[in-house]
Amino acid sequence: MTSAVAVDQLSTTFAALADPTRRAILAQLAEGEATVNQLAEPFPITLQAVSKHLKVLERAGLIARGRSAQLRPSRLEGEALKEAADWLGEYRGFWEEGFDRLGDHLRATREGPRG
Amino acid sequence: MTEATAQQITITRVYDAPRELVWKAWTEPERIAQWWGKRGWSTPVSSVTLDVRPGGAFRLNSISDADGSELPLDAVYREVVEPERLSFGPPAHGGDDERTGATVTFTDLGDGRTEMTFQSTIHASDALCARAEGGLASAFERLAEQLA
Repeated sequence: MTSAVAVDQLSTTFAALADPTRRAILAQLAEGEATVNQLAEPFPITLQAVSKHLKVLERAGLIARGRSAQLRPSRLEGEALKEAADWLGEYRGFWEEGFDRLGDHLRATREGPRG
Repeated sequence: MTEATAQQITITRVYDAPRELVWKAWTEPERIAQWWGKRGWSTPVSSVTLDVRPGGAFRLNSISDADGSELPLDAVYREVVEPERLSFGPPAHGGDDERTGATVTFTDLGDGRTEMTFQSTIHASDALCARAEGGLASAFERLAEQLA
């Protein structure tokens, strides 16, 4: 079913987002596309390590990489990120709406006949 | 997949009600049934089981007024510190399911008001593992389905 696929995709996206280095890479890509070398600059890690992170991000659909031979600049792909954010937003909304209702309930309880 | 997939959310509310009352709203079936879930969903008291002690069941079932679809919660209390803190999560089935769950903290503001802080950690892969068992994860999954 599509829902299982959707949840699976979310799982991959969340896994990709769980790493602080990968989040930093995404933040950097938000400024515009960049090569592996440019992306590696701010981090005390090897180019290979950055490449590995980029592969994870690519698999999660969070970035796309150019086909041109060596540079293969990476750029942000908004859709997967949006889906993850939407899901979290929906989850948060579920609780927030419940907590609004809790507020109504508490008010009714205090003003109610039994105090 | 052993990779961490944690996402965290925090929600804070201040209620104009004493802490004991907020605690009761979470721990008494007749009360929780009146507010649980989104608007447009009802939670029959008959579906509520609140065995408020560590390891006790925290179960209820919300039903959509619009189409009758169900959104069950099947969780277990992990920590119960009346009237300060309540934490719960999916029933453990031997791995590290403790990673997914929620903690609600109630702070007496001293003027008749109560600050409630809700913190939840979600591991998306747990939602997949726990599909068969239902659980807190199933609520997460239903939400994902609604989006799909």
